Amino acid sequence: MRVDLTQSTAPPSGLHSGKGFRWALLALACGFVLAGYTTLALLRPGDPALWSGFCLWLLCAAGGAFLLELKLPARDPYLYPAVMLLSGWGLLAIERLAPAFAERQAIWLVPAMASMLLAAIFPQALRWLRGYRYVLLTLALALLLATIAVGTNPSGFEAAPRLWLGLGGIYFQPAEAMKVILVAFFASYLAEQSATMRALLGKARAGMNLSPRLLGPILLMWLLALLILLWQRDLGTAMLIFIVFMLLLYVASGDWRIIAAAVMLVLLAAFAAYFLFDLVQLRVDIWVDPWADADGRAYQIVQSLMAFAAGGIFGSGLGMGAPGYIPVAHSDFIFAAIAEEWGLLGIITLVSCYGLLAWRGFAIALQRAGSAFGQLLAVGLTLMLVAQALMIMAGVLKLLPLTGLTLPFISYGGSSLLVSFFMVGILLRLSASER
Amino acid sequence: MSIEVAIFLLRLLAGISLVAFLLTLFAVIMRQMRQSEALLKLSAEPQGYLLREDEPAERHALRPPLTLGRAGSNSIVVDDAFASALHAQISESEGKLWLEDCQSRNGTRLNGEPIGGRTILADGDIIGIGKWRYRLALSTRE
Repeated sequence: MRVDLTQSTAPPSGLHSGKGFRWALLALACGFVLAGYTTLALLRPGDPALWSGFCLWLLCAAGGAFLLELKLPARDPYLYPAVMLLSGWGLLAIERLAPAFAERQAIWLVPAMASMLLAAIFPQALRWLRGYRYVLLTLALALLLATIAVGTNPSGFEAAPRLWLGLGGIYFQPAEAMKVILVAFFASYLAEQSATMRALLGKARAGMNLSPRLLGPILLMWLLALLILLWQRDLGTAMLIFIVFMLLLYVASGDWRIIAAAVMLVLLAAFAAYFLFDLVQLRVDIWVDPWADADGRAYQIVQSLMAFAAGGIFGSGLGMGAPGYIPVAHSDFIFAAIAEEWGLLGIITLVSCYGLLAWRGFAIALQRAGSAFGQLLAVGLTLMLVAQALMIMAGVLKLLPLTGLTLPFISYGGSSLLVSFFMVGILLRLSASER
Repeated sequence: MSIEVAIFLLRLLAGISLVAFLLTLFAVIMRQMRQSEALLKLSAEPQGYLLREDEPAERHALRPPLTLGRAGSNSIVVDDAFASALHAQISESEGKLWLEDCQSRNGTRLNGEPIGGRTILADGDIIGIGKWRYRLALSTRE
């Protein structure tokens, strides 16, 4: 039966009339962040500087809401409040955990918001992502390669992976930009090939293999990206890109064997990595049994589990817990710190926000039934954000081995914030696009 | 007011805003799901139409499964002395439309021939019940 989703989801005043809800959500997010900052101000009386972070966040949230309302009234109404709650919460948590980093993160919020608004308001962003895909990908690969030659690590440790490019005190992680550019590349390429691909897959059932002519270019680009990331030992990002790529291929072709192959490849890759990389071996070992070396190599994960236990249902309260025991809690392990101070309630809200992101992202993909590129792009970006959140949350909870990824919108890290906001901007654009 | 009390109140406020945020979120989700369900029902285009041969004004949207018969509870009410209360039904399975006689007293005809068991329908077929005849006009599908 032909159901015209493009029409059915764009009623004159039906779906997007939740105006009250979006403002209520945004106001509640503001109230939550304000309560947090006030608590911190009471706890640290001699430190008025912390208000600068809140003011920046509030300015960004209000300015963004105003501009979106003005320029993009037909957008998806729920993505933005959820993302603003997450980013405000992130700033608050960083201010609590590592005040020295908070100002920097708050300043990164401004370009992040700008990139989101640019992507959401100007349709050119979408066109460029599609039209200049080879240029963009080559550029991103070049930047990645550059990190091998002149990469640095802002923390200054000699042994730490050098994933950043620094210029005048600003550090950027090209791997983050790679994520969005690769998704756009896959989406535009697969959209052009999807008709051919379905036909070939139909034949593949009758005994033919997937044509290398068809998959060649993507496989090549993807291998290049993976190789560089592996060389860089940025294994989390490599894994993430691999998983998202396989899922996109599945969405484009509808062939379940791709999922089967992906699971096998992931297991195989994990097995190989276990023997090739000391880091992976360590991560898997402490995942299997952290208690064997709880004071040594597994200290971080054990402290994270302790934080979850200490948090309980309502948490210890902001500033009352001891998340400081978790090393570098403001980055990868921020989820554990939030669990300690806001408890199960906070975690449920947090996970619901990512759930909302997934739901709205896939809904946007469904709405764009007419454009394969738009659909695949929406699915890819949503998967990228949500898979990343899931991987690091599961890692911190010891459900999966740790993959040093950031928690999107929350963890400390400017490049991650910028790129995550940019992705949301594209999703907003796709949700409001002319049909 | 001591700082402890203030901090406790702020914590309460933060907790309440979190709960309120969650509840609003779920209200939104419930609302949207109901709306999209209603929209999907509305927008489901009929697969075609059943046109009454001798009465061009009578046109029934084809949304299987549907039933034909004299009783008012049928999707298409056939007000003919030769029609049974529940006379025949049209259903969809395996991507095809099927016409089935529901053990009616006088039988159902397809293009003039009485049908036996389940029969596949095609565009332009004429279903006959008593003196009434319906022509099946399928919408072109993609």
